[in-house]
Order: sequence, then structure tokens, then C-alpha cells
Amino acid sequence: MKRRNFIQSAGLSLPLLLNGFKLRAMPKSSIFSAISSENDRVLVLIQLNGGNDGLSMITPLDQYDKLANARGNILIPQGSLLDVGSNQAFHPGLAGIKSVFDEGKMAVVQAVGYPNQNRSHFRSSDIWTSGSPATENWTTGWLGRYFQQGQPDFPIDYPNAEYPDPFALTLGGNVTETCQGTAANFSMAINDPFNLNPLATGGNDVPPSTPYGDELAFLRQSIESTNAYSDGITEAANSATNMATYPDDNNLAQQLKNVALLIAGGLQTKVYVVNLGGFDTHAGQVALDPTLGSYPALMELLSGAVSAFQQDLVLLGIEKRVMTMTFSEFGRRIRSNDSLGTDHGDAAPLMLFGSCVRPGFTGESPEIPDNPEVQEAVAMQYDFRNVYGSILMDWFEVEQADVQNLLFPDFSYIPLVDGCNVSATSQLPVPELAFTPYPNPFSGTVNVSFQSGNEHVRLSLFDGAGQELKVLINKRLDAGEHTIIFDSDGLASGSYYFHLRLENGRQKTKLVVKARG
Amino acid sequence: MDRRATLSKMLGRKNSDVSAAAAPSALVSGLAPYTGPFGFDQAAHLLRRATFGATYQQMKDVTNMGLDVAMDEIFAAQPMPDPPVNPNFTDDPYTPIGETWVDKAYSPNIAGLAGSRDQSLKSWTLNLIQTEGISIQEKMVLFWHNHFPVADINDTRFVYKYSALLRQFAVGNFKDLTKEIAIDPAMLRYLNGNTNTAASPNENFARELLELFTIGKGPLVGPSDYTNYTEQDVVEMAKVLTGWRDRGFNSSNPAIPVESYFTTARHNQTTKQLSYRFNDIQIPNMGDQEYAHLLDIIFSKDECAKFICRKLYLWFIYYDISQQVEDEVIAPMAQILVDNDYEIRPALEALLRSEHFYDILNVGPMIKNPVDFTMGVFKTFDIDFSQANLEQLYRSLWTTFRGTLTPMQMPYYDPPSVAGWKAYYQEPVFYRHWISSVTLPIRQTYTNRVLVQGFSNAGFTARVDVLKFVATLDTPEIADDLIDELVKILFPQPITQSQHDYLKGILLPGLPDYEWNIEYGDYINNPNDINLANAIKSKLTNLLSAMMSMPEFYLS
Repeated sequence: MKRRNFIQSAGLSLPLLLNGFKLRAMPKSSIFSAISSENDRVLVLIQLNGGNDGLSMITPLDQYDKLANARGNILIPQGSLLDVGSNQAFHPGLAGIKSVFDEGKMAVVQAVGYPNQNRSHFRSSDIWTSGSPATENWTTGWLGRYFQQGQPDFPIDYPNAEYPDPFALTLGGNVTETCQGTAANFSMAINDPFNLNPLATGGNDVPPSTPYGDELAFLRQSIESTNAYSDGITEAANSATNMATYPDDNNLAQQLKNVALLIAGGLQTKVYVVNLGGFDTHAGQVALDPTLGSYPALMELLSGAVSAFQQDLVLLGIEKRVMTMTFSEFGRRIRSNDSLGTDHGDAAPLMLFGSCVRPGFTGESPEIPDNPEVQEAVAMQYDFRNVYGSILMDWFEVEQADVQNLLFPDFSYIPLVDGCNVSATSQLPVPELAFTPYPNPFSGTVNVSFQSGNEHVRLSLFDGAGQELKVLINKRLDAGEHTIIFDSDGLASGSYYFHLRLENGRQKTKLVVKARG
Repeated sequence: MDRRATLSKMLGRKNSDVSAAAAPSALVSGLAPYTGPFGFDQAAHLLRRATFGATYQQMKDVTNMGLDVAMDEIFAAQPMPDPPVNPNFTDDPYTPIGETWVDKAYSPNIAGLAGSRDQSLKSWTLNLIQTEGISIQEKMVLFWHNHFPVADINDTRFVYKYSALLRQFAVGNFKDLTKEIAIDPAMLRYLNGNTNTAASPNENFARELLELFTIGKGPLVGPSDYTNYTEQDVVEMAKVLTGWRDRGFNSSNPAIPVESYFTTARHNQTTKQLSYRFNDIQIPNMGDQEYAHLLDIIFSKDECAKFICRKLYLWFIYYDISQQVEDEVIAPMAQILVDNDYEIRPALEALLRSEHFYDILNVGPMIKNPVDFTMGVFKTFDIDFSQANLEQLYRSLWTTFRGTLTPMQMPYYDPPSVAGWKAYYQEPVFYRHWISSVTLPIRQTYTNRVLVQGFSNAGFTARVDVLKFVATLDTPEIADDLIDELVKILFPQPITQSQHDYLKGILLPGLPDYEWNIEYGDYINNPNDINLANAIKSKLTNLLSAMMSMPEFYLS
């Protein structure tokens, strides 16, 4: 979707970040002119299902002795932990994530939870996905409400020219409750973007060769063809190539690999949700050697997936557009149990990744009592809704008053986004594009010349308001110089832009069309 | 190789009662009585097809009844329901709130009155479906509405009267119903019978009577000769039907009831000459009895029996009427109809008792029509209206009607043409007409809506009570069993293991199976803990929403 339309129709005002400074005070007209379709931002949510043991993921070194007392049978030896400063250490499985942290592209918000913590998986998941108070049941999701503001009639007449792609995508799961709107869910669930269908059709096993099987096959086929979003998704997946190597045998990594592909391929989806299950570690959380076992394996999966994803975003030149956040329905108890596990608890740290996050730790080390009760868990420092709301403000540029409506009136802002810290590697591959329209200004036809490698090229025309009017090229070209002749027939006088996107760079060239005499 | 035996093996059914149904003796089953075991799957199949849906308990009840008792129950005579009332329209000068409008005056000049009565009739009809027990009645009423369509009659009293006629003859005598329909006030208006006079004949009704209502149009085998009748018969029969009119239309005079009447002066009093297709019969002037005599002549042709049996087959079995089906099912069924002078029940009961009906090949290939799809959910989940007052009952059902049947393209009382809905006549795709890129998203939206938002009006919401429904299951606390039971209730055939796993992943994302047992147990042990209940409810809602979005759920 066109960012500008998206935000305008969402009925929200448009604070922008430019070089890291908030520009809310600027007059609207100059904000509009600063918008291009290229600053579409994407939020990726990694849902850690089962209740993540935050104390094992990020261990407060200043509480280590007390932790040794309370959970000695599962505690990682201090020497094996990955010290990241601020008295905090990462699980040894998080080596890849630590390198992201070291690059200043990761933030941790300590002890995120909510008042009156509920320790039921289902109920607490509902609270986290709906953004409701623990005392109330809301049937919409926090992102669903955000989308709904601008799309009151969804899903009637969607997709359409203005919103050709899903608002949100879930990889490898069912539609996400975070995106439940009042009439429908804004998310679409897919497994394989190159082969869309299984979830919408309820299965893709070969139907029996009977009348029942025939009708079933017909229905599945109809559902597939009706799913007008699918072509755009597959097209996006085919329009880009992953640049990083993702670990095999890591389902989360494969999900994120597809997310990177879809973003780079131009899909105009705002939110992606991926899942990693297995965090319900009541027993056997670790082996007798606490650096081994199911939880260390989960950390390695998470770390391998996230670090590959971040690297890919850098190499694809889209790291500024993407922010990733983890969440889980609750943390676990301070005390471990006798089964080398931990039971359902309360607050836990939440991780944010991306070159635009404000790096480092927000919040204090969780305070561990000398002798915690069996029931005791990490106390909340930050209400999760303040994290959500701050993301909506800083990332999707939602006004604070709207955030209060979408979440809760007592919302309080937490600075989570800072100036974007872009890796040099993402700037280097951008070639000097020889991209020349001639003559300019012009009436009638214009020659547009550019060079490319043997790569996917997308050339399109935008109007001055940021609307993409026409896609002129969207395919792989041979290396060399290319010229197309563009006919301005039908265009009103005014300023237009050609956008040229190669795999490693983008270029925008202003073009002025004169009215024909 | 026996396709059904292979199929039952592929399906991997656990229930022992299914294997018998899956392995009938003949390659193609006929109208012979089904003699295999009558278990849950047979009962559920019967209820899915013969009624608008049943609760789990009703499926079990019918299983226990056995086929004979079940048939008595399904065909038991139903009392005529109380007529629709005015639930809340204060501007109806003729009908106080809570009273029926069907016998009151009407005026098209009162703003909102037409809409109020129209909505009342439609809501009332859905309520009859919703409150119906184990009965074929309402399914047959809709069958007859599709067979003898009437639409665009802008005085709802006419439509009510017509609908009452269909209900009276739901499983009654086809010939007698046709006689009544021929002079029904709504039909007289719909097909212009009321302007068919001796001086100015209108052949509209006569033509449809032959082509669509009774004997059917066969191949054109000679000039104006449609095998079963000729153009001459259309002309001559139109003459027979002259003289009938309706009165009371849009009348605000309470002394003039809605009715039809015969005017001798408008009747063609000559002798009518039928073609050789009707044995060159001559029909002398018989005044107001002439139409009935004509119908006796038409129905003397056994082709009428075959014609209606094919439509019953399309309505209750499947759309593919092969020569084998024609010979083994349609022909013997039509013979029963003829032998019983067009009483519907014996023939229809034979069909619903037949080995053909319970043939595994006929279990599941029918795409539910929108009324079946919508109201099937209401009935299966036993949506509770007991707390709704009159206004809330009518208004919430109207919201349902408007939000489902209209956009899914089967608005009751508004069939698209005199041939009814395309799904029941238009070759080659038949039921597949219900499915399009327009209607599919509406079906998917509906299943989510009926579970989450519901259909609200006047402060009442008709919605599935997920927890109440699941409490009726035998083993809701075990995730695998829960899914198996839901599949039995909601789907016509079993699902594959990968689909089962997919559904479990929706119920328990990333969690081991026993967490369901724990959470559900917590909820059962703390029934007053609203948070526990809502947590369970939300997971079950996800599961049911996923199941009801699966194409398996669109099939019957």
C-alpha cells in the first residue's frame, strides 16, 4: 500500500522521523513532500509460545547469587554467559543475537508484563494479542484496531488497487489474533509464499477420487483462486533473493527468510508474525549440564534465525524499514522446580531488533529476593501496552491520543526508536545508477536509460503525491544498458518521478511533464 | 477394485459402524432399502440432508432410534405454525405490536410498512427453521419454494399465504399442491394468471406449468414438439386456466381478504383440444373445476413423477443423474409416487431409506446452499433465543437474513427466476453456482462472525455459545478426541492426519497436548472464573472458526 494513503486513510496525523529527529511540529505540507513510498515501515513480531523463561534468556549478573540460590539446578554457569554490559548477560545460545546487540541494533525492555498477571497460556495470550487489561475481554487485536481505524469497511472490497496486499501476514501458522478487527482478521496466514494455499483451503492432501473428493477439490481450487492476495505475495517472493544464509532445520529461520524475501520483493504488508513454540518448559528445560537441553536449543534457534534475518535485511538494503520484536504470554517462576524446569510466571524481557531501535537496555535488572516463594515470579516494570503504544507512535507514527484510544488512557511513552544506525554494508552495494530521462521536462515521449546487472529490475512511475501510477518494468534483465521509451499520453502536467529499483539499490529521478500544446 | 472399499481404507475411519456403509454390496446402489448398520455416521448424514441441521444430541438420538423410528420422526405431521407478527413497527395502523398482520389490511402508502412486513415474514421463516425439531418439513418448504417460485409480490400477505400453502403440503400430495398453486393469489400475480382471459389469453403460467412445474420439457423432436408436450398444449391449457383472478392486493379495506376467485365471463368456455402427447384429449367447459381436471390429465402422465423425483434427487442426493441413477433410483421412485397417487412421503421416504442414499459415494458431495449453510450453524450449535423478546427475536434474525442469505445469493422469497435457483437446474455445475469469488469470502466471514460478533439487533445478539456447545461433547478435555468429535459433527467425512494436526496446532499453538487437558480441567473445576472460561473460549473459537472455514464444512 502507499504509505501516504495508508496513513491518511487511517485518520492519523503524520509525525515523521528525519535523521532521527521528530518532526511533528512541521507543517503538514512539508511532511507530505518528505514522504515517498520507500519509507514503508514493517513490524515483525516473533511470538514465543508457551511462556519464555526470561531469567534464562537474559540473566541479571547483579542478581546471580540469588538466582543460584533459587534456581541452581538450571542456572547457566556464570563463565558461560555472554556478558553484554549493564550487569546483563545473554544465554550462551544467543551468540548470534549478541553480535546484533554489539552492532547497536538491539534493545531490551526489562520485565514487561501487566498488572494482575494471568498465568493461563490461553488467557494471557489473549491479553497480549488483544492489548486488553487483564480484567477485560476484548475481541479485537491491538494491531487490528490500528488497521481498523483507517479501514472501517474491511474486508468488503479488499484487496483493491490502493491496498493490493494483506495488511499483515502470519508465516507458518494461523491468522494472528493481534490483527483481529471488528468484522474480520486483517492478517492472512501463509506457509510457503511460493506455494500459497494450505491454510485457506484447510489442507492440500490429494482428495479422494469420489464425488465428495471432486467437490472438495473444486472448493479448494475456488478458495485458492479467490484468494486474490496470493499472486501478489508470490510475485513479491519471486522478485527478490535472500542475501544471507539461514540455518537449516530451523523453522523460525525459514519463516523469517520468507519475511525478508517478501519485504525486499516489494510486498506492501505492514506486519509479519512468526512463531517459535516450545517455551512451556515445566520439565527438562535443561539437561544435567544446564547449557544443554530444550531451552538452550530454543535459544540457538532464536539466535540463529534472528541474526541471519538481520544480516539479510542489511544486505538487502532494507534494514531501516524493518523492526522486529519478540513477545511471549508470560515469563516463568524465579524458583526452578525439581524436574529441571520452571512453571508459569509473570513478567519477562522483550527484545527489539533493527537499525532504528534505541540500542541497549531499558529498565533495571529484575530484583530477585533472597528466598523467593515457590509462586514468586519477576515483577513487572513496563506495561506491555506502553511498549505497543510506543511502537505505534515511533514506528507507525500514530498520534499519542490515538494510541490512548487504541490501547489505554494511561498510556505512557517509552522511547524505543532512535536515529537509524545503518550498517556501512547496506550503503556500499548501492551502485551509482546511470539513470537518465531525456528530455526533461518533456511532452510526448521521453527516453529513460539505466544500467543494471543481471538482476531483478523494477521501474515505476509515481506522481508528486507519492502514488505509484504505473509499473514499467518488473522482471529480471540481462546486464547492460537499457532504454525504454515512455509515452506521457494521459498524464496531466506536473512533476512525476521514475523509481528504479535494482537488487542493491534504488534511484529516484524527477521528471516534469509539460502539457501538450 | 471396489472404489468404496478403497475409499474407506484411505479414510481410515475408526468407527466400526462406518466400514459397513463404506462397502455396500453393489457397485452402484439403487433404491433398494439400506440394510447395513445404522450408526452415528448414517444418522448424521440423514440429518444433514433431510433437515436444516441437528445438534450433537439429536444426532445421537437418531442413532439410537434406528432408521424406522427416525423416519417416523422426520416425516411426522407438523402443526401449522402461528403466523408472523408485527414485532416492533409502531406505524402499522392495522396491526398492534405482537399481533399478526397476515389477515389485516395493508397500504403501500404507509412508509416502512412494506419493509416491516417483509422482514417479519423472513425472520419468522428463519425462526421456524431454527426452532424445528427432527423434521423434514422446512427443508421441503424451501424445496417447493424453489420448485414453484414466487417473487416480487409487493404485498407480503400474498407471500405469507403462498408460504402457508407450501407448508401445508410440505410432504403431502404433489398433484394436490399443484392444483392449489395453479390458483394461488401470489402465483396468479407472479406468472400473470390473473390477466389470462378468454379475450386476451396469457400463456405464461401454462408454459411454466408444463416446462418447470409438472412434466418438464423434453428434447425438441418435431415442430413445436417437446417430447412431453407441444406448443398446442401450451395454447390450449392457457385457455383452460382463464378466468382466475386475485383480490385484496394492496388493499386497505379489511373486508377484502387476500384470495383468488373465478369469473365465468373471463373464462374461455370453448372445448380445448390437447395434442397427441396428451392422447388428443378434449376438455369441455368445466368452469371453475376445469383447471383441476387439466391437472389430473397432466398428472396421468408418469413423466410427471420422474420429473419431480429428479428434482428431489437434486435436492437430497447429488446433481449427477447418470443413466444408472435414472434406471435404478429415479424410475423405481417415480413408480412409488405413481402408485401412491403422487403422495410425496412414500417415494421420498424410500429415497431416504435406500442403499443409494447411504452409499459412501453420496456422503458429502453436496455443497450446502446458503440457507442450509447459515441455519445449519444455528441449529447445530443450538443458538439460544430464549432470552430474546419478540422484537429482539425478529430483528436479530432479520440481521442474520440480511447479512447471510442475501449476500450469499439465496434470499428466501426472492428466487432469481421462475426456474428457481441455478444450483438446482443449471448444468453442468449445479451446486457449484453457490461458490464464487464474491460468495466465498462471505462464507468465511460468516463463520467467524457467528462465533465472535454474532448477529445483533435491538440489544440482542444471536451468537454461538462455544462453551455450552463444547460441554455437550463426550471428551472435550482431550485435545485429539475433541477434534475427532467435532469432525464427526461438522464434516460429512473424516479428515486426514495432517488436517487433524493442523487443527490441533490452532487449538494449541506451540504447546504440548496435555496443556489443553490442564487448562480445560482448570476451567471445569472453576466454572465461575471468567478469565479461565474466556481463555478456553478463545481457543475453541479459533478451532471452530478454522474448521468452519474449511471447504469440508461447506459440504453435506
